[in-house]
Amino acid sequence: MEANEIIRFENVKKIYTGLDSKSKDIVALQNVNLSINKGEFVFVLGHSGAGKSTFLKLILREEVATEGRVIVNGRDLSKIRQREIPYLRRGMGVVFQDFRLIPNMTAYENVAFAMRVTNIPEKQIKRRVPYALNLVGLAGKARSLPQELSGGEQQRIALARAVVHSPPIIIADEPTGNIDPELSVEIMELLQAINSLGTTVVVVTHEHDLAARFHKRTITIDHGEVIDDGLTRLEEEEEAF
Amino acid sequence: MKWSSFRYLVKQGWHNMIFNRLMSLASVGVLTACLVITGTAVLLSENVGRYVDYLETLNEIVFFIDDNVSDEKIEEMKSKISGQENVSECLFIPKSAAVEEMRDQLGEYSDIMDEYAGEGNENNPLPASFRVSVKDVARLSETVNTVSELGAYTAEDEEGNAVEQNVFYKVSSPSELSDTLVSLRRIVSYIGSGLVLILGVVSIVVIGNTIRLTVFARRKDINIMKFVGATNAFIRLPFFVEGMTVGAISGLLASGIVIGIYYGIEQALLSPEAMWLSEFTRCIVPFEMVIKPIMSGFILFGIVIGGIGCAMSIRKHLKV
Repeated sequence: MEANEIIRFENVKKIYTGLDSKSKDIVALQNVNLSINKGEFVFVLGHSGAGKSTFLKLILREEVATEGRVIVNGRDLSKIRQREIPYLRRGMGVVFQDFRLIPNMTAYENVAFAMRVTNIPEKQIKRRVPYALNLVGLAGKARSLPQELSGGEQQRIALARAVVHSPPIIIADEPTGNIDPELSVEIMELLQAINSLGTTVVVVTHEHDLAARFHKRTITIDHGEVIDDGLTRLEEEEEAF
Repeated sequence: MKWSSFRYLVKQGWHNMIFNRLMSLASVGVLTACLVITGTAVLLSENVGRYVDYLETLNEIVFFIDDNVSDEKIEEMKSKISGQENVSECLFIPKSAAVEEMRDQLGEYSDIMDEYAGEGNENNPLPASFRVSVKDVARLSETVNTVSELGAYTAEDEEGNAVEQNVFYKVSSPSELSDTLVSLRRIVSYIGSGLVLILGVVSIVVIGNTIRLTVFARRKDINIMKFVGATNAFIRLPFFVEGMTVGAISGLLASGIVIGIYYGIEQALLSPEAMWLSEFTRCIVPFEMVIKPIMSGFILFGIVIGGIGCAMSIRKHLKV
């Protein structure tokens, strides 16, 4: 793994084994070789069932690769122990399509929670949470419960939660899937702003048009294989020049 | 874990309990009901056990002494009987005392015993006796046999021949009653322990399921916590606090209910209208003696069950 790399997939294959002898094994990913550098902004594209979610699950260590290696932040995920997983995840901020905010916590508490799990002192939490809420433009909604907020606002709170502890990687799984198109652009712009501060951002989406608007590296997955990598194509185009 | 994090998680547990108040109320209701039933079974078993204990103390074997036995022999027998392992008390009732007892029993007709009264009265037909109380009523028959054998001795008849004699000419023992009491005690003990065991298991299963429902309803929250990097201990603690608090509240409520009902029953049994039950009433465990063990037992049991229920229910959802 090179010093500048933050995520690396080496000959990764993921097979979901059938529950019994009658069920077929499903190959979710195969021959995946790629690396993402620190500070990069990457779109992972693909239609439903292409293998995007498995790609994400492998990074989050929700699943383990059947073959090959997945290295995140310098850790080989096939070798880390179960009790080390929380510490791996503290190095990432995750944004989900369904926001996944804790319903009985206010917006402030939801954002603060990501810091509390890492035993960060209260003083620092009180400083960082308003900053993160301000970053996503929701400083005035700190005391609101998730159900009192719109879809776009909930996603922005989820984004604030993802960035509040300054993780080196932000993973966004279909972050615009549940919100209006105008708000989708707003969310993507926020992610871009976060990326400009040096954070690596990986956005998994099926919205080609949205990805196209931002001119970033695009990895396309189909039937479990990487069929296109925007960076490679960009290099080829540069070479052609 | 830092003290500030611990404090936060404890507060979070209480906060969750209030936020999910319907589920918390359901858990408190179920656990309280189980504790009330278990507590009632324990108290019932304890009271019946005490009544059987009391009945056992009324057990007495009467060894009637032959009129020809000398005073020296009676003294010797008394010390031998008192020395028996299963004998708790041996009381000698001389012939004259037997007459006095009979007079007491006859009440207004006591004067018919007048001609037999007085020490050394040759006309007195009532025999002297030993009244023996036993420690273990289950060994009553064995004690009767042992003491009867102690009474055997060899004497000489008028022609100088050896004759087998016995100090006692008759024995009266409530063998049937003792057998009934032993069976009753056994049944009460089995039913009491069985009920406590069954209801204890039922409590754990029911509360486990209720907590499982609570945890299931919040499986998404747990999932979120896992993805922001929370350790299992960090996720578990608020649930533990919640479970144990629900347990403590249930224990407090259940002890209040059981103690209240017990007090009501005790007062009713002690009222003049219930005099006919006085034989039983004198044996009931006093109200003051019930409060402490019931309260501490229930609260402790509730806390333990709440904690165990939580630990069992949450484990499955932590594997993310």
